[in-house]
Amino acid sequence: MISDDHPAIIEFVKISKVYPPDILALVDISFKINKGEMVFLTGPSGAGKTTMIKLICNIDKPTKGFIDIAGNDLSKIKPAAMQALRQKIGVAYQDFRLLPRLTVFQNIAMALEVKFMDGKTIRSRIHEVLNVLNMTNKIYKRTDKLSRGEQQRVAIARAAAARPILLLADEPTGNLDSQAGTDVMALFSQLNEEGTTVVIATHDKSIYRDSHCRIFHLDGGELDITGQEPEDREQGTET
Amino acid sequence: MRYLFFILTQTGRNFRQTWGAQLMTLLTVTLSVLFFSFFYLIYNNVLQGAARLGDELRLIVFLDQEVVPELRPALEKKIREFSEVEKIIFISPTEAFTRLGEQLGNDRDVLDDLDGSFLPYSIEIYLKKDFKNLAGIKDFSEYLTTLPGAMKVQYGHGWVERFGYFVNLSRIIVLLSGALLTLTATFMVSYTIRLTLVARQDELEIFRLLGATNAFIKGPVLIEGFLQGVFGSTMGMTALYFCFLWIQNHFNGPGFLNLFEFSFLPFTEAALIFVCSICLCTVGSLFSIRKFVRI
Repeated sequence: MISDDHPAIIEFVKISKVYPPDILALVDISFKINKGEMVFLTGPSGAGKTTMIKLICNIDKPTKGFIDIAGNDLSKIKPAAMQALRQKIGVAYQDFRLLPRLTVFQNIAMALEVKFMDGKTIRSRIHEVLNVLNMTNKIYKRTDKLSRGEQQRVAIARAAAARPILLLADEPTGNLDSQAGTDVMALFSQLNEEGTTVVIATHDKSIYRDSHCRIFHLDGGELDITGQEPEDREQGTET
Repeated sequence: MRYLFFILTQTGRNFRQTWGAQLMTLLTVTLSVLFFSFFYLIYNNVLQGAARLGDELRLIVFLDQEVVPELRPALEKKIREFSEVEKIIFISPTEAFTRLGEQLGNDRDVLDDLDGSFLPYSIEIYLKKDFKNLAGIKDFSEYLTTLPGAMKVQYGHGWVERFGYFVNLSRIIVLLSGALLTLTATFMVSYTIRLTLVARQDELEIFRLLGATNAFIKGPVLIEGFLQGVFGSTMGMTALYFCFLWIQNHFNGPGFLNLFEFSFLPFTEAALIFVCSICLCTVGSLFSIRKFVRI
């Protein structure tokens, strides 16, 4: 049941995903993630983390089950509504999906241009997010001239710059040193405090070890949720 | 306004990315517009020439007897049934004799011992001054020979026929060049835009994932075709105008072109060619959008 205070922004109901010929990526998974939550999606490589991210942003379709994102049933969503929804979701892909011939600024600006933001806001948002990631000195560099770690931070910056209601990050610290990883997590925390729901798919234990957030552990396509939902935590504290 | 800015920025980026193909397309559209409008210019001037040749569009039907005034309306009706006629004049031998005298001028004294009775009754038929009537003049003259009492039909047979062939040829060339313009404008623009879309596939995919709207993705592609049409037809029409000036300067003097008083295309027709070219190029880009941009 979704409460009014914390309506679910992501809801999976009995989701299964089978890749041809018969590879089970996700098996009968159900969960809810509430607005404003930060959740870690963990598990070994090939556990189904990326598949789950793809299903959330509707790049891929489930074989079975029902997905609701911010009140939109993804199986019935119309193209225009999908476009509007994608503008509200920031995704930092594992393979970055940057345009190599464009600069850091141009790559990040794409996420803001699709919302027809004015130039001044675009510049200020990009500087703001790059500042948190310690990347302002690279702003006019072409992304193909950057290291993998820097490219990863550009992808994260692009996902965060539009201040999405939902941010999905697939292995966001995979190519980063510890300082850069801390910067990225600081950015995610800042966004989460401002109300963004953050879902981080990772197998890097160091970033969620001391966290109070819920941890969704995937293994062999099956889900195990540890930690409490925020409202349960609040109730637990009161009692 | 902001939307327009983004669309134009994207369009500029597209032009830069595929400038070679864009240039080729622009040249092709320009040449197609030039070819078509050049032949149309010739055709248009030929038609104007035909309209000026009013006297030659007169047919004279010689009769073996007078047409009494009561029968004239019926005969006129029969003539008008076949072709668009401006006026019909019934000429008596006396009137024909007077005209002959006037035509002879100072030599009219050769007619002093004659009266006009040796001249036949005749009907002068003036066709409306357009090419349709000129082209059909032969058939019309044959029709007139079937009129009751008609002995002979006379008109500027030889040159009118040759002129008719020339106009028909011009018309065919105009139609062919029009087809060429349609094909090149539509298909070249369509293929160039397809190239742009292929070159931008990664970018479009990212835009799609970022939630770009249809207008955001399709707008620049549509503008690209539109601009190809604007630039191509502007360059084509400008080149045509310079061709016209060159022809006017180099063929100015007694001769063929003076017969036609060579003039440039009327504004409305030039504007129509311009607008049609733009529409064709835009349609070309629409084809590519429908086929290659899936959102």
